[in-house]
Amino acid sequence: MYRSQKLAIRYCIAAMTFFGVMVLFGVLSALYYIYPTMLFETFHFSTSKILHIDTLIIWLLMGFLGAIYWYLPKELGREIVGIRLAEITFWVFVVSVLIVAGVFIFVQYGQANEFSMWFINQGRKYVEAPRWAAIGITAVLLVFSYNVIATAVKAEKITGIVWVLMIDLVPLVGVYLDAFDNNTNMSVDLYWWWWLVHMWVESTWEVLIGVIMAWVLMDIMGTSRRIVESWLYIEVMLVLGAGILGLGHHYFWIGTPQYWLSIGGFFSALEPLPLLGMVVHAVYDAGMHRMRTHNRPAYIWITTEAFLNFIGAGVWGFMMTLPQINLFSHGTQWTVSHGHFAFYGAYVCGMISVFYVVKQRTSGVNFLDGQRWKWAYGLLNLGMVGMVMALLLSGMAQAFYERAIGGSTLMAFTAAAENPWFLSGMYARIGFGAIFAAGYLMLAYDLLVKPEKVQMPAVQNIQPEAAE
Amino acid sequence: MTADALLGTALLMGLLVLAGGSYAGLYALGRVRSRPAMVWVGQLCWLVAFGCAVLLAVATPLDFGWKLLLLVSAIVYVVIPPITWRYLERLHIDES
Repeated sequence: MYRSQKLAIRYCIAAMTFFGVMVLFGVLSALYYIYPTMLFETFHFSTSKILHIDTLIIWLLMGFLGAIYWYLPKELGREIVGIRLAEITFWVFVVSVLIVAGVFIFVQYGQANEFSMWFINQGRKYVEAPRWAAIGITAVLLVFSYNVIATAVKAEKITGIVWVLMIDLVPLVGVYLDAFDNNTNMSVDLYWWWWLVHMWVESTWEVLIGVIMAWVLMDIMGTSRRIVESWLYIEVMLVLGAGILGLGHHYFWIGTPQYWLSIGGFFSALEPLPLLGMVVHAVYDAGMHRMRTHNRPAYIWITTEAFLNFIGAGVWGFMMTLPQINLFSHGTQWTVSHGHFAFYGAYVCGMISVFYVVKQRTSGVNFLDGQRWKWAYGLLNLGMVGMVMALLLSGMAQAFYERAIGGSTLMAFTAAAENPWFLSGMYARIGFGAIFAAGYLMLAYDLLVKPEKVQMPAVQNIQPEAAE
Repeated sequence: MTADALLGTALLMGLLVLAGGSYAGLYALGRVRSRPAMVWVGQLCWLVAFGCAVLLAVATPLDFGWKLLLLVSAIVYVVIPPITWRYLERLHIDES
């Protein structure tokens, strides 16, 4: 095993741990909606929510880095250049996140001054981490970029997948710099902030997960390089064609010029079209391979990703993407429902499949299957689908009573928060959130313990990489 | 837009894409398993999607431009699964 792959295992463990922190603070945040005075003046809802959404970003980013450190030496046939530096930055990354989490939990907030921005909280959603930590993340990404580019140069071999990865490194580092913006004009600030949230998370990361999934498909299904590279190029083309201007749907109602309503609505309406093709591709691959794989959980999770991405991003997103609907749904639990489903479908399912790839290799079994992963799979999916349905109910109640009937006044907001439809959705969300948390625990347990002993079916004909 | 129209329009838009996705999934499944009936059910799903687009065009307060876009989208849905399928087959045949 390459040193880079050992580093990847550490990244995967860290990612899985912060995944758990995200779930914990997600359940806690959900409780505040039912018990608004809970932990009053002890631990604020806003801090709980920050920990929930920031750890989401962090664990996925760690998972991506882990997956790339895992596959890159295999792809280029050599150890990563600058591996020592990468190992150091891993610890810098983990310790920084722990310090920031500690500050969020114990200090929580400060006065509106430079000190708070540098050492407590930058105050911008998703990138609340204080400025010193943002510099740390930039350093981690720069070292990671150096690792990828220097290794490709040294190997004198650049595959199509590595080309896409190297080009994606430019926005991965460049767009993140927007986290340092400090504009006091709310509209201008939000205008650039959406570059960070949409371009970085929704576009740059889409390409990154596409690269990772290309490797996983070759690994667990034996899909040919030519096929996965063809689809990767199509994905990049779609991101450039529709994804970038799809940014416009975030520019509704933040003080941007009116033409963004047309641009955002138009390009967002195009987004389900490629997702339809993706559904066909997933069914085609599953059918042609007839479930032949040496890693059943990774295979099922990667197939699930295609379908849940379609429903979470496609169906849930399309419901509220046109400006006339979005005027009412923007910022309600409806958006939260879409956000949960889209993130889960687009990234979480893919990362779990990577975890199982790493588990198989490290545990040295030729065929990975069993019952435990099925429990985790069932609980996580049931929990997520239940949560997003519950949030949709609450969000529609908000859009209906607070926005459309009540006219978005403060009184209407308060009345909607006490509406039985809204509250029943919030209660259901907690119940399904608990199911999701149980699924996480089962997933963690399954990944940690030895694989179950199962017989490899006779039809399995895809040979895994030799286990060590 | 009234409160009732808001929910009705949003749900129809969601159903439009969901029916389109069901068409894509059933079309591909029917082709994989060589079951024409499944492809046929998939095509029925497309009809549902198109019906949603027509309803959105005639019975909702969306602006004319959005109505046109939804109708054109629903029409484009019909060709995506067969085109994707043909491309996939060609790609895999070349490979083998």
